[in-house]
Amino acid sequence: MASTAHLDTAPSRPGRLLLVAALAVLLLVSVIAAGLDDSNRETPAGTPQPVPDRLAATIAQAQERLRRVPGDAGTWAALGSAYVVQARVSGNPAYYAQAQGALDRSTQLQPTGNAAAAVGLGALANARHDFAVARGYAEQALAGNPASMEANGVLADAATQLGDTTTATAAVQRMLELRPGVAAFTRASYELELHGRVDEARVALERALGAATSRDELAFCQYYLGELAWGGGGVEQARAHYERGLAAAPGDPALLHGRAKVLAAAGRVDEAITAYDRLTQRVPLPQYLLEYGELLESAGRLPDALSQYRLLGEQQRLHAAQGSADDVTAALLAADHGDPAEAVRLAEAEWSRRQSIFSAEALAWALHAAGRDAEALPLIEQAGALGRRDATVDYRRGMILARLGPARTGEAIAALDEALATNPHFSPLHASIARRTLETLRGAG
Amino acid sequence: MPSSRSSRRARPAGRVAAAVAVAGTIALSTALASVGGGVATASSHREAPLISADPAVDNTDVYAFVSPDDPNSVTFVANWFGLQEPNGGPTFYPWATDANYDINIDNDGNARPNVGYRLTFRTEDRRGNDTFLYNNGPVTSLDDENLLFRQYYTLSVARNGGWEKVVEGQVAPSHAGKASIPDYGDLRDQAIKDLPGGGKVYVGAAEDPFFADLRVFDLLYGGDLAEVGQDTLAATNVNTWALQLPLAAVTANGDPARNPVIGVWSDTERYSMQLSPGKATRTGDPVQVSRLGNPLVNEVVLPAGLKDAFNGLTPSKDATIPEVVARVTDPELPKLIEGIYGVPAPAGPRNDLVEIFLTGIAKGAPTLDGSAAPIQADLNSHVLNADKGQIQPSEMLRLNTSIKPTAEPNRLGVLGGDLQGFPNGRRLGDDVIDISVQAVEGAAQTGKLVDALAAGDKVDANDVDFLTQFPYVALPGNVTAADAVGAPAKLASDGATSGSSTEGAQGSGGTAGSGAETSEVEVQPTAASSDWTNDLMALGLAGGLGAVVFAGAVAMWFRRRRAAVRANRAAFARGDSTETG
Repeated sequence: MASTAHLDTAPSRPGRLLLVAALAVLLLVSVIAAGLDDSNRETPAGTPQPVPDRLAATIAQAQERLRRVPGDAGTWAALGSAYVVQARVSGNPAYYAQAQGALDRSTQLQPTGNAAAAVGLGALANARHDFAVARGYAEQALAGNPASMEANGVLADAATQLGDTTTATAAVQRMLELRPGVAAFTRASYELELHGRVDEARVALERALGAATSRDELAFCQYYLGELAWGGGGVEQARAHYERGLAAAPGDPALLHGRAKVLAAAGRVDEAITAYDRLTQRVPLPQYLLEYGELLESAGRLPDALSQYRLLGEQQRLHAAQGSADDVTAALLAADHGDPAEAVRLAEAEWSRRQSIFSAEALAWALHAAGRDAEALPLIEQAGALGRRDATVDYRRGMILARLGPARTGEAIAALDEALATNPHFSPLHASIARRTLETLRGAG
Repeated sequence: MPSSRSSRRARPAGRVAAAVAVAGTIALSTALASVGGGVATASSHREAPLISADPAVDNTDVYAFVSPDDPNSVTFVANWFGLQEPNGGPTFYPWATDANYDINIDNDGNARPNVGYRLTFRTEDRRGNDTFLYNNGPVTSLDDENLLFRQYYTLSVARNGGWEKVVEGQVAPSHAGKASIPDYGDLRDQAIKDLPGGGKVYVGAAEDPFFADLRVFDLLYGGDLAEVGQDTLAATNVNTWALQLPLAAVTANGDPARNPVIGVWSDTERYSMQLSPGKATRTGDPVQVSRLGNPLVNEVVLPAGLKDAFNGLTPSKDATIPEVVARVTDPELPKLIEGIYGVPAPAGPRNDLVEIFLTGIAKGAPTLDGSAAPIQADLNSHVLNADKGQIQPSEMLRLNTSIKPTAEPNRLGVLGGDLQGFPNGRRLGDDVIDISVQAVEGAAQTGKLVDALAAGDKVDANDVDFLTQFPYVALPGNVTAADAVGAPAKLASDGATSGSSTEGAQGSGGTAGSGAETSEVEVQPTAASSDWTNDLMALGLAGGLGAVVFAGAVAMWFRRRRAAVRANRAAFARGDSTETG
């Protein structure tokens, strides 16, 4: 069977951590500075930007106001919430600490009945994957302000990740009844997409795009319209959305990610590698690092691929040391490029925290990596239970079925065919594994 | 069962390892910096926009006044999408196309609209995928081919029933700067449309007529009034809908003499969607997302936890929400002022505020606890309408259309003895910040301005003059008064300084200091006189007996108050604030 490149298992930890921590401290400041400048650097000089950056304006106005009136708890909360968004938009996680500071200040000034701060703290917790904590903040905010569309948004996001689909759906519906707009429509779109209602998901994103009045909102909508098209194999359509978004928001990391993916799908591998390289230098999200590594591996550049996996592994270990868990990605990394036993450990830890379609998929794949396909099968089916059309899930189901003997060969072939029919570009590495596996299965059958 | 993976468990060779280590250092530290700052998101987790304001559908202000140049008509001005920077580049501020923008009129007092006017919009976008700029050359007319992004509106009316189209028109575009729009006045003139059956409409950009130093609200957060005097909204624009209608079109039974009082509020609704299968398209009743009657209710009356709920509420429900009512009968602001300035907060329950905000002012105005209305004057409550219905206390702007435009408007409105001003409707030049602060301190009931707050936010007039004719609001952009269409050049030079006490050219030519410029307005048979008896005669000529009777009574009540107020004001006038009238 085809497989992926693997790293050694864990190196000596304490010395590594010391060195790594020292590096982090030394370079944190310069990286933050670079990150903060990045959005400007990406804007070609002289290009008029007719879609206003209301996020930056909101932050600037709030800061100005707080210089004058430092006792305004509401504006501290608004600033904190804006920082949470800015962290995602800029790709600079230093804003999370700033968000925490601003929100703490708000609750200090107004300890009770501070629904706005609760919303901000909930959004921050979601961003940090503390979904149970986020849910608590959302409920607190709703107790203080039952008509809050934003509090329902925090709840919807947390509940989705916790696997509580009933609560999530109800919260999104409530947003739509309280204040239809970008926040409500984008979440409605995600709800619909998770349930496999792709056309309706697109309609909802188009509603959101129509209501967008700020650059970051527009960039978000174009990116996810692109992702929807991409997920169905519509590479050219996806490209159009990403490029349209980049015309309005040139430095947006997510849109640059989309552009890089499209280059890879178009066979322009060197350009794709360059694009991923620049992207991961600036915004080293786990997803980007993993995709970059797998692109390098599929292009035959194994040492470079391994260094990306190593980087990602280090990052995951430091996350764990800091108590912030993103075990889904860590499990998937370990399953494909690390130690399968570790993969299972991580995925089971995540599963114990939340039983969602995401953690089901991660545990299924980890068990598959560990050779426990019979246990993996019900979990991968659970991952598809809501009806989402996802080539990666189909691929994983196919690979699991392929290990379960000749009786399941037909289903395995069907699942792998389905994956490639849905999105032949779902992963440069795994798509080719899927194709080789199909050949084998058809040859053997 | 051992993994049947291939033997590609490669460990990088020494030299490669070193190279990888070096090349990886920068990336490593970047990656690690991301850990130091916080967790970066994973692919399974989508972070959608959340704390996003929705300015395109947010009401900023509503005005209602008898048209100074045509007292048989009323003018409504409703604004959305505030804080537009006029010179922020080629940015534009479109109206939402999946929303209803409404001006509602209750003329029988039951807090439900009897007449409604509605704007809906569509966009014609000729930009293609190549550009985000909405014009590719100077735009000198509404149909200029250089204008790539256009919006059109449909104005509809509902009278106790379904909606009917009145007229369609084109929106005057956002002012993207002189290079794009050399003369906004031309576009504005082209955009004004006459209505069948009388009246006019304009939809487009305007200079934000609200004038205030918003820092006055710092009071609520531990600030003080020491640093005020700067119009926070100077040189910002808004999306404006100006609508002028004959009085018969909006008053109960079409009879302004019998039923002069109308209640006005604006709201915005957006079409939503449902998650049930097949319903992802625009479905169901639209959701009310914003609502506005009296100015500053959100800032002065309601706490943070109620603002969202209030935006979704229709006026007929206001009095059924105890928390909303409590904020009127037991307001927060006077307690804060007492804490900072030592001014004793007026004793509750504040039935005077109930009159101002919830029922309109009249001797027979209903109170929520059955006691007599404290402000014993007949001004703008629906109880004064002969054909009134079941009176329902509710938050809205109330205008008595029989009180004709005055020769010399006073920015303090009713509190300054000028009956045509706020809270009787709202004119562009009414200083609602100062009026509201004084009213919440009880000035309407006592007739005395509160000394410590007499200067208010020290912004007494808009930075740009208003116009003497429809649509009255100033042109958008950082224009001087010299550019305002219809304003004589003489007024321009006199009125150009901001912070002076010009009442704006909206009144009948009474600009301070410029002498008696011939007024274009014909309403006042007598020239700039503030003598009540003359006003009474004018009212008698114009409005019929009923109007004279209660206008006279009101005049008597306020005459006594005004004398006291004037005495106080003389004592407290500051150097940069001169009062007329």
